[in-house]
Amino acid sequence: MQNKPSAEKKIKKPGLLSLLKPYSGLIALLLIFTLLSNAINLWLPKIIANSIDAFTTGHFAFRHIIMEFSVAVLCILIFTYLQSIIQTYSSERVARDLRNRLSDKISKQNHAFIESANPAKLLTNLTADTDSIKMFISQAIVSIISSVFIIIGASILLISINWKLALCVIAIIPIIGVTFFFVLRKVRGLFKQSRAVIDWLNKVINESILGAAIIRVLNSQQMEYNKFLEANTRAKDFGLSILKLFAGLIPVITFTANMAALTILALGGHFVISGSMSLGDFAAFNSYLAMLIFPILVIGFMSNIIAQASASYERISTVLEAAEPPETGTISNSLRGEIELNDVEVLYEQTPVLKNISFTVEAGTRTAIVGPTAAGKTQLLYLLTGLIKPASGTVKFDGHFISDYNSKSFYSQVAFVFQDSIIFNMSIRENIAFSDLVTDQSLEKAIETAELKEFVDSLPDKLSTIVSERGSSLSGGQKQRIMLARALAIDPKILLLDDFTARVDNNTEQKILENIKRNYPGLTLLSVTQKIAAVENYDQIILLMQGEIIAGGKHAVLMHTSPEYVQLFNSQQSTSNYELQPQ
Amino acid sequence: MNYNLNKFSGKEEKTSTYAALKSLLKLIAHERKNLLLALIAILTNAILNLLGPFLIGYSIDHYVQHKQYHGVLVFSGILLVMYLLALFTSYFQTKLMGSVGQRLLFTLRNAIFNKLQVLPVAFFNANKAGDLISRVNNDTDKLNTFFSQSLMQFVSSIAIMLGAGTFLLLINVKLGAAALVPAIFILLFTKIASPWVKKKNAVNLKSVGGMSAEIQESLSNFKVVVAFNRRDYFRKRFGEANQQNYKTAVAAGLANNIFLPVYSLFSSLAQLTVLAYGIYLISTGSFSIGLLVSYLAYATNFYNPLRQLASLWTSFQVAMAGWDRIARILSLDTNLETIPEDTTTRSPSLVEFRHVHFSYPDGKEVLHNISLKLERGKNYAFVGPTGGGKTTTASLIARLYDPVMGTVFLDGKDIRSYEPEERCRKIGFILQEPFLFTGTVRDNILYGNEQYRHHSNEQLEQVIKEAGLHKLLSIFEQGLETAVSSGGESISLGQKQLIAFMRAVLRNPDVLILDEATANIDTVTEKLLEEILGRLPHKTTRIIIAHRLNTIENADEIYFVNAGEVTRAGSFHDAVDKLLHGKLAS
Repeated sequence: MQNKPSAEKKIKKPGLLSLLKPYSGLIALLLIFTLLSNAINLWLPKIIANSIDAFTTGHFAFRHIIMEFSVAVLCILIFTYLQSIIQTYSSERVARDLRNRLSDKISKQNHAFIESANPAKLLTNLTADTDSIKMFISQAIVSIISSVFIIIGASILLISINWKLALCVIAIIPIIGVTFFFVLRKVRGLFKQSRAVIDWLNKVINESILGAAIIRVLNSQQMEYNKFLEANTRAKDFGLSILKLFAGLIPVITFTANMAALTILALGGHFVISGSMSLGDFAAFNSYLAMLIFPILVIGFMSNIIAQASASYERISTVLEAAEPPETGTISNSLRGEIELNDVEVLYEQTPVLKNISFTVEAGTRTAIVGPTAAGKTQLLYLLTGLIKPASGTVKFDGHFISDYNSKSFYSQVAFVFQDSIIFNMSIRENIAFSDLVTDQSLEKAIETAELKEFVDSLPDKLSTIVSERGSSLSGGQKQRIMLARALAIDPKILLLDDFTARVDNNTEQKILENIKRNYPGLTLLSVTQKIAAVENYDQIILLMQGEIIAGGKHAVLMHTSPEYVQLFNSQQSTSNYELQPQ
Repeated sequence: MNYNLNKFSGKEEKTSTYAALKSLLKLIAHERKNLLLALIAILTNAILNLLGPFLIGYSIDHYVQHKQYHGVLVFSGILLVMYLLALFTSYFQTKLMGSVGQRLLFTLRNAIFNKLQVLPVAFFNANKAGDLISRVNNDTDKLNTFFSQSLMQFVSSIAIMLGAGTFLLLINVKLGAAALVPAIFILLFTKIASPWVKKKNAVNLKSVGGMSAEIQESLSNFKVVVAFNRRDYFRKRFGEANQQNYKTAVAAGLANNIFLPVYSLFSSLAQLTVLAYGIYLISTGSFSIGLLVSYLAYATNFYNPLRQLASLWTSFQVAMAGWDRIARILSLDTNLETIPEDTTTRSPSLVEFRHVHFSYPDGKEVLHNISLKLERGKNYAFVGPTGGGKTTTASLIARLYDPVMGTVFLDGKDIRSYEPEERCRKIGFILQEPFLFTGTVRDNILYGNEQYRHHSNEQLEQVIKEAGLHKLLSIFEQGLETAVSSGGESISLGQKQLIAFMRAVLRNPDVLILDEATANIDTVTEKLLEEILGRLPHKTTRIIIAHRLNTIENADEIYFVNAGEVTRAGSFHDAVDKLLHGKLAS
């Protein structure tokens, strides 16, 4: 008997149970109802045995038995239903709160964490892994507690009837406990691996959905299918190996329990024949044994759920226990817009993507960053928004580190227009007023500046039109302008544009840049761009190549000092004269 | 065809359990042999389990009561043999049935994924990635749970029940009938409650899909969440979806739990009936105590599995709700079928649009009556303001969609009469938003290109050099073996565009469409791309979509696309003029 719970404890990590602590009230209630309904359940055979004995000895009271039985049955009904209600509530609540805790944790992490944790895995954490834990609570806890209770109760009753016989029967429990212990240890490892395969599967599905268009252009459906087949086959193989273990476990348990029944017949029969046991007791002994076998089987099935839940919890724990980036910044002054980088180096997986970057941007000036593909321009902007951290060197705004600023205050003054279009599946208004600091007035101004007014007005639902990233409703340029409006809507002091001009036609682009100048005076602008013509009159142009600053200064100066700049300039000469003067 | 899985008309919503089950069983038709073997194992196991108490009851009546210990031992021996046999049948029933479940899960996932590959781009525009993932993983798993765990218990429970029921009637018809009466109430109750339970579960599965979509969107857009300091946005949006899921899950959970207490009640009542009626029968002398003891065991044997059926039935309802969602995907088909070739209408051009109208399913017409002809080997440029219909026009040439009206011709034939393979070989389309698959640069360059698949890196580099692409490759730190990931930031948008460019050029298509394909590439590299395009075989037709004019100056002909109209610009200067002074579409 002692062996059983201790084997269980080994299986459940303490963490899994600690998860239940805040719900101890609910769980206690759950246990009380479970135990109550089980206690009455144990009582039923006793009533039957008593009545048989009463009948054989001639003291049979029919009405009394009916009464007793009906009360018991009614109580069982009430308690089981109450138990199931509490069970549903508590398991769903644990799952909901665990998900919220996870999302809370994820939301506090920095960008790099999400990238390295792999969104596909986080998705599994929030869905399938949490579900396993929910299952553990909704099914395993009650089943195991009530099974253990029935086993203990039945054992006590067996002992009270005939201890010699009872001990023979109870001897099966340690045998089963040990079997469980060994099988489950193996199963847990398999479960963890199979979850990793599910992550992989998710990733393949995800890519095949996001890349649906290119797959159809290239007619590479078969290739995607093969990738999926490989992952799916692995998932199936894991499923089958887990199954094999359980297929072996359950018969062993049943067989052991059956051996107990055999013992009762052979030994108990002997006791009855020799007169040391009544026939009624013998009958009761048999029905208690029947009661004993079922919970043992249940524990067998539940062990599957326990193994799954503890493997899942281990995976979730790694997310929950990840260190949060500390929020230390206290400065919430309004920014002037001065930026200073000093000898900054950025590494991506050990290889430097930015080296020896030093430059200053005066408040209220316009700076352009130009350079070839893969020069590190986007990384430079990421650095300025704090999305990535420098490996060495300093990034300062108005003489203070980014980390010294209160993040709410910082991000309400530094706005970033990303290169790739990121549109949320909600209304245009919500997409633009993404920051919670946006007022109707600043929203209006941003829409006007981004030259979106005409477009928005042409939509039947105006600003309330729901848009989506992959939906066909928006063109590339429209998405880009919505993103610009999103950045402008916070009335920023510093605006970072990443290749904004790439998807917007020249005419609109020129208008937008003028609108910005007019509507947002004093704005410090940093613009990554391919087109020199548009930035010739900027206060500073920085030429970035292979992660290093090759040259910096005004256009006229660079034309004399930097051959690379001249080359870049010449490459754009043939047609840029058309783009220069909008009417 | 309506591709939005969450907006179905009422007709498809209602499928009878029987019809759903039938279509599901079709998927495991090839498992017939295994199912049969499993069934035999289950039945043997059930019989062995039933015989146990019968033999025990028999030996109590005949040997224990008559104090013949020898007989008890003989029966113990028989029981031992039976139990040993049960050891094997029980192993086989779990293993056979479980593996049918696992293979079903495997087959189902494959079927859905395969279906996803068949469906056109429009389907993906209408559905969220997270919801689809949830359908492929979560919903199939519900079916797996039922098949690998529940179905076996289901069948064995029913077998045990039927056996126990027969025994009950055989031993004593009157007592048996009395014992079985409560079962009728259970049956009735189940019939009434099931559709409701299934509906509650369907609602829950839908909210699980919604939650999954929410996670998917927020995580892939996480950098915006950080840069706009809206970490609370993620929490809030997710919190709402989570709360919604909680509500539906509780509702489903409460519905699911309704069977067990009711089943338990009736099975207890059955026990009482047997006891009371049995004792009455004994008192009239037509029944024995020994028989009553085994009778009670049989009644337990009948009602215990029935009680188990309560939870199994729930699992069945959940599985059916999941199957409905899966079947909805499986019932869809592509709206881009290959039609038989029509020899009467042909086109002399390489690409021709004849009175083409197009609108997306959710909106107004975006192309109005377009007619144009593109000749082999020429350079075309499509220019115009954003939102004017350039990408849509290009998508029709690649048959990502079919026109609502009118016909698109490719190489003389109606584009719809091409097999996908042949059509795709002719067309290279570099999409506006480049997409990379997790792997290496090599994997991505050769993606969908069987020709060079077995080339070594050296051989491939040679091919790349011949195509003039080697300078582009040198931008990648580790060349062909540079690792890339689909959502990752390790490589820039410009680099992604370069990979897409190399991929398209190496496939050597008849028509090469570049949809703003070089927008994020610096102008020096862009010059290089122009050179590479210039070195393409003479017969290659180039279609360049751009608003950056320097990319289109080599065009033989320029089309101006605006407000759903495609008009031919006389010359480069004419186009520039139109672009600068023309009315904007958006």
